[in-house]
This record gives sequence, structure tokens and C-alpha cells, in this order.
Amino acid sequence: MKHHTKLSQEQQQQQAAEQQAQQQTVREFASAEELLRYDAAHTPVPPGIAQRLQKSTGDLPRPKTAWWKRLFGGANR
Amino acid sequence: MNEPAAECEFVAEPPADLASAEFSSLYAENSRAIYYLALRFLGDPQKAEDATHDVFLKAFRKLDQFRGEASLRTWLYRITVNHCQNLRQGWHDRHVFSNADDAVWENAVARTESPLRILETKELGQRIQKALDGLSDEYRLLLLLVADEELSYEQVGGLVGQSPDAVRGKLHRARKAFAVLFEKTA
Repeated sequence: MKHHTKLSQEQQQQQAAEQQAQQQTVREFASAEELLRYDAAHTPVPPGIAQRLQKSTGDLPRPKTAWWKRLFGGANR
Repeated sequence: MNEPAAECEFVAEPPADLASAEFSSLYAENSRAIYYLALRFLGDPQKAEDATHDVFLKAFRKLDQFRGEASLRTWLYRITVNHCQNLRQGWHDRHVFSNADDAVWENAVARTESPLRILETKELGQRIQKALDGLSDEYRLLLLLVADEELSYEQVGGLVGQSPDAVRGKLHRARKAFAVLFEKTA
């Protein structure tokens, strides 16, 4: 009987731990855009792209500064 | 959504020694947004990688022609949207999901009005992709562009050739359609 009680307690503790773990990973998003922003923030850019670009641009002449930047020294955005 | 800093773990890699400081900075600031748009619009990581490379190469070649009328991000998005739409053109007709089917989404059970509650799993990206794949190109693009908080409705409208009001109207339907499709992926 004691053995059963102990087993039951262990099972309950395990269930509680599992439930807690599940609750911690439930997320709520108010809109599709929010979900997409979350997804974007967790999607890494493959490092291979920068490497390929380095090769592709290697033989090309360096870009000139845009005319408006030369005139106004402008910000990026 | 306010993301805890620790969760935004995938910071874009430090810019490689690209051809100029200006271009390196352009890549560092925008590569994530461009790659993500290409990835979720095309639905194929390899194609998205190629597209991102091609977009930045095009930007590199035309950087001196950038007129500064729009933000650099918007300019890059324009190149990306054109590039991705061209890639899809060949098989667009076979895959298009007509907006005439809006009634399907409008009549969907209103559970989609409630927030999207999800159990975070490794498959989240696949679920999102599956739901996006079920949308028309127009709705998919709208959602992806509006998800970038740096873009106003006016800028999104400029990118998709719609007025800001049209963007708002279509966005409402796109959200609903996405929610219905996303629920089906559970």
C-alpha cells in the first residue's frame, strides 16, 4: 500500500513537472504579424550568403556613394 | 510584441568583409528581413538563400542609383518582391489561390478572432510555412511586409501597388485566412 502511495506521488510530481514545462512554452500572439515577427526573430540568416556575396562582389568595382549621399551626406533611412 | 532580449538569439552574423563598409552595413542591417521575406514567400530555404544573394548583388551593383526617395529597407524590399515574383511567375498560375474564395475565410468559425495560442515547438516554422503556402501570393506578401514594423501601410501599399486603404482591407482578410489555415496545421 505504502509502495502504491509513493508511486502515485512520484507520478503526480512528474505530471506536474510536465504540465509546468508545457505551460512555459505556450505563447500567445495577438495577430498573424506578431507570430511572423517572432518567427523572423528566430530564423537565422545562413552564413553562406555573406560568403557567396563576398566572392560575387570581389571582382566588381566598389559601389560609388549614391549621389544624394554625396550631396547631403545623408542617413541610411 | 516585446521580446525578451535573450530570445532574439539569432543576431545576423557580423558582416563579412564585403566590398565596402556601406555595403557591409546595408547587409548587416537588412539581411534578416530580406532572407525571411524570401524564405516565407518562396517556401524553400535554398531558393531563399539564392534569392537573398541575388537581391544583395543587385543592390551592390545599383547602390549608386539609389535615389534616397525611399528608405534603403523599402528599396531592398522592392528588389526582393520583384525578384521573388519573377521566380514564382512560371508556376504561379498552377498554384494561385484565388481571392474569390474569400467567402471561405469570412464564414470560418470565429475562433480565429481570438489570439493565436501556440505551443512552441521545433515545427513552428513548418506550421507557419504551411499556412502561408495556402494563401494567395498577394495575401502572403501583404502579411510578410506588414509584419515588418519599419514599414507603414503606405510603404506596403507602394510595394504591392495598392492604396493604404486597400492594404488595410485586404490585410483583415489575409489575417483571417492565415488564422484558419494555421489552426488546421495543429
